[in-house]
Amino acid sequence: MPNQSFASRIQRYKLANGLTLLVLENHANPTVSLSGFLSAGEFFSPADKDSLASVTAGMLNKGTARRSKLEIAEELESSGARLGFSSNNFTVSINGQSLSRDLPMILSTLAEELREPVFPELELEKLKQRFIAAIKEDLDDTRSRAYERLTQVVFPAGNPFYQPGAERTIGYLETITAADARGFYEKYYGAGSMILALVGDVEPEAVRALVEQHLGDWTGAPAPEINLEETSLQTEAKRETVPMKDKANCDVMIGHASRLRRSNPDYLAAVIANNALGQSTLSSRLGLKIRDEMGLTYGISSGFRSGIGDGPFTIGVTVAAENIDLAINTTLDIVNDYLADGIREEELQDEKASVTGSFKVGLATNAGMSGQIANAELFKLGENYLDEFPGLINALTKEQIDEAMRKYIHPEVATTVIAGTI
Amino acid sequence: MTFTKITEYEGITEYKLEANGLKVLLAPRRAAPVAALMVVYRVGSRNEAVGHTGATHLLEHMLFKGTPTYNKQNGTQIAAVLQKQGAVYNADTWFDRTRYYEMLPSDQLELAIHLEADRMRNSFIADSDRQSEMTVVRNEMERGENEPSRILDERVWAMAFREHPYHHPTIGWRSDVEGMPTTQLKEFYDVYYHPNNATAIVVGDFDEPAALDLIAKHFGSIPASPHPIPPMYTTEPKQEGEIRFKLRRAGQLGLIELGWHIPEATHADTAVLSVLDHILSAGVTSRLYQALVETQLAVDESAQAFQFIDPGLFTIDVTLRPESTHEAVEKVVLDEIEKLKLEDVTDKELQKAKNIILTQMIFLRDSPFGVVSALGESEAVADWKLYANLPKMVEAVTAADIRRVANTYFTEDNRTVGWFIPKEETE
Repeated sequence: MPNQSFASRIQRYKLANGLTLLVLENHANPTVSLSGFLSAGEFFSPADKDSLASVTAGMLNKGTARRSKLEIAEELESSGARLGFSSNNFTVSINGQSLSRDLPMILSTLAEELREPVFPELELEKLKQRFIAAIKEDLDDTRSRAYERLTQVVFPAGNPFYQPGAERTIGYLETITAADARGFYEKYYGAGSMILALVGDVEPEAVRALVEQHLGDWTGAPAPEINLEETSLQTEAKRETVPMKDKANCDVMIGHASRLRRSNPDYLAAVIANNALGQSTLSSRLGLKIRDEMGLTYGISSGFRSGIGDGPFTIGVTVAAENIDLAINTTLDIVNDYLADGIREEELQDEKASVTGSFKVGLATNAGMSGQIANAELFKLGENYLDEFPGLINALTKEQIDEAMRKYIHPEVATTVIAGTI
Repeated sequence: MTFTKITEYEGITEYKLEANGLKVLLAPRRAAPVAALMVVYRVGSRNEAVGHTGATHLLEHMLFKGTPTYNKQNGTQIAAVLQKQGAVYNADTWFDRTRYYEMLPSDQLELAIHLEADRMRNSFIADSDRQSEMTVVRNEMERGENEPSRILDERVWAMAFREHPYHHPTIGWRSDVEGMPTTQLKEFYDVYYHPNNATAIVVGDFDEPAALDLIAKHFGSIPASPHPIPPMYTTEPKQEGEIRFKLRRAGQLGLIELGWHIPEATHADTAVLSVLDHILSAGVTSRLYQALVETQLAVDESAQAFQFIDPGLFTIDVTLRPESTHEAVEKVVLDEIEKLKLEDVTDKELQKAKNIILTQMIFLRDSPFGVVSALGESEAVADWKLYANLPKMVEAVTAADIRRVANTYFTEDNRTVGWFIPKEETE
C-alpha cells in the first residue's frame, strides 16, 4: 500500500456548495486528524478593526443556537477530542483530532460551530480581555517585539504583515462589538472557500456522507476575492532598537520585504536557497559559523514568511548585548558571501536530500498528512503534488537556486531591529 | 546468544544486549516508512552538585561536537549528517536523564544507530569546543532568564528543595557553567556514558531481527562500565512549614506558582495525581479554568504532577489578568484545593479526566516519536512498564483516591508559594 500514489489513495469530493473534502484512510491507529481552511483571515478585517477576523474565529466555539460554550466543551473534552479554529493572515485554520469512533460527533460539532454561532456578548468580552492580556504578555517578549518593529519598518500600514503594535491593536480590539463579529462572519464564512482534509481510521464514503449531512446544505458567504497589492523592496539599510528592561538576552531580527509568494514559480528554489543559508541552527551556514564555531548564540535561523501573501525574509538571532555588533556583522558577511558565490554543489545535494527526507518524516502521522493535504489544496498545487514533490525538488539546479537567492535575499537594504536591554 | 529477551508486553519487547548490559526496547509499527531511535542515559542534573551544576546539559551539547568518525573536519558533522536525511533529531537533558533521538526515513535507521553508538564512548569533548559551546549554553540560559515564568518556576523548585539536587535548574547556575573545566565534563562522560547505564528504544517501520542485528553490530563492541554507576543518595527532608517568596522585576503580568511535594514516579499515588492534575486544569471545563479564567481573574492556569525518580512537586501556575491581585487569585486556587479535600469529585469529572489521559495516549501512537518519547520518559524515572501500565492504573482511580491524595499532599506545611510581581516603571 505505501507504494501506491497519494493521488490514488486520497478520495476527493467536491460538494454542490463548493466545499472541498479530501479523505485518506490510514487504519494504523484508531484516530482521525482533521485539517482545513476557510478564507476568513486577518486580510479581510477592516482597517479600523484589526483583529476582527481573529475575534470572529475565536467566537465560533463560544456558543451556538443549540448549545452553550460549556455544553460543547463538555462533550468534546469528555471524549478527549480536540477541535479548534485559529485565524491567520489570510485564512482561518480548522484543526481537530479524535478517536475514530467519535468522528460523527466531531463533524457535527464542527458544522454547528460554523453554521450557528451566536456571538454571546459576555463571551465576546472575555475573549477580548484574553486577547488583550496575551498582547501585553508579548510586550515582554524580545523576539515578538523585534519582529513587530521590523514589520512596521518594511511594510506600509495596512499590509497583511504589518503589525500595528500593542497600543493600537488593543484600541481596535476594544471597539469590536458582537455585531461586528456577526457581520464579519456573515460576509466571509461560507462553504465555497472551505477545504477539509481528514486522515485516519475512517471510510471515505462514510466521511462524505457525514459531511454531506452536516454541511451539505450550508451555503454561507461566497468565497471572497483576494486582491493583493505588490509590495516593494526597501531602498536602504536601517537599524532600529526596541529598548526593554531586565532582559539578559537580546533578539536581533534582520529582514526586508521578500516579494515571494507560495504561488511564485521559483518558490521551491527560494526555499532551498534559504535552507542552506539558515534553516537549521545546527547545520546551516549561519549556524555553523555563529553558533557552532563562534559560540555567540543558542539560536540563529532564517526564512521566508510566505504563503498566499509575500511576507518578509528574516534572519533571527538571539545574543547577549555585548555580542550584538559581532553577531550582526558576521551574519551579513555570511549572507553576502553566499550571494556572491551561490550554493555549493554538495550543499545543493544535501539540501535536496534533507527536504525530501523531511517531507517523508512529516507524513508519518495523521496530523502531518492531513496538514499537507489541506495545504496543497489551499495553494492549488494540484492533485498530484504530494507524489510530485520529491521530483520537483530533485530537478532544481544550482542556477535556479542562485537566481532565486539573488532575487529574494537582499542584505544591502535589510532592516536590523534589536530588542532587549542594551 | 547476543540478546536475551526479557519480556514482551503491550506490543513492546525488551531485550538485554549480553555483551554490555544495554537495555533495548523495540516496538515495530509499520504505518509509515519512518523509524525513531532514542537513547536514554540515566544521568541528569540530579547527579550534579555545586561547582558542576549544568555539567550534564553542557556535556549533552558537547556530544554534537564530533567523534573521530563523525566530525566537521571530514564533512560528517553530526547535525549535518542527520539534517541531510531529513531527520527530526536533537537531545535534551532534565533532572533524571539525558536523551538523544532521531526520527528519520526507516532505510536510514542504521545511520542513527551507528551515530548513537559511536558518540556513546568516542566523543572528542575537546577544551576548544567546550569554550565556544559554553557561550552557546550561556545564551540559552539568558533566553530562559528573559521569561518571568521560567525564573519563577526555577525559584519555586530551588526553595522547595533545600538538600536534594532538584534544587538547582538543569541548565545549571551561571558561574558553574562559566567556570566548569573540560576535565569535569570528561569525568561525567566517563562515569555515566556506558551501555549499562542506557536504554536504546526503536519504534516504527523495521523488522525486529534486523534492528537487533544493527544494535548488536554497533553497540555490541562497547564494553560495560569498568566501575558500577554511582548512586545518588541525597534525600530531601520533610518540609516543615510553608515557604513563600516574592520576585520583582520588569514585566507585564503577575504570576503565581504553588508547589507541593509529592512522591516518586513508582509510588502508587502517581496515577491518582495525574488524574487530579487533569481535573484541575485540562480544558475549558476543568476546575481551575472555571474558577480563574472564566471568572476573568486570570489569563491562564495549569497544574502538573511531575513524575521523577525521587519525590518531585505538584505545581499550579497562574498568569494573572492585569487588574487582579495576587492575594485574590491565590485564595481562589487554595479554595479549589480545599474543595478537593472536603468533597468527592463527581463521576462525570473523574471519567472525563481519565478519558483525556487515555485518548492522549492513543493519539501519541500516531507518531513513532510520540511512542519513543513516552517510553523514554518512563525509562528515565522508573521502567517502561510504567507507561504500558498507566492506562490500567488510571482506570482504577476512584473519587475516594482523589480525596485521600488531596488531603495527604496539599497541606500548608508542604507548600511553597512564589509570586512574580511586575515592577512598576519608575524611570
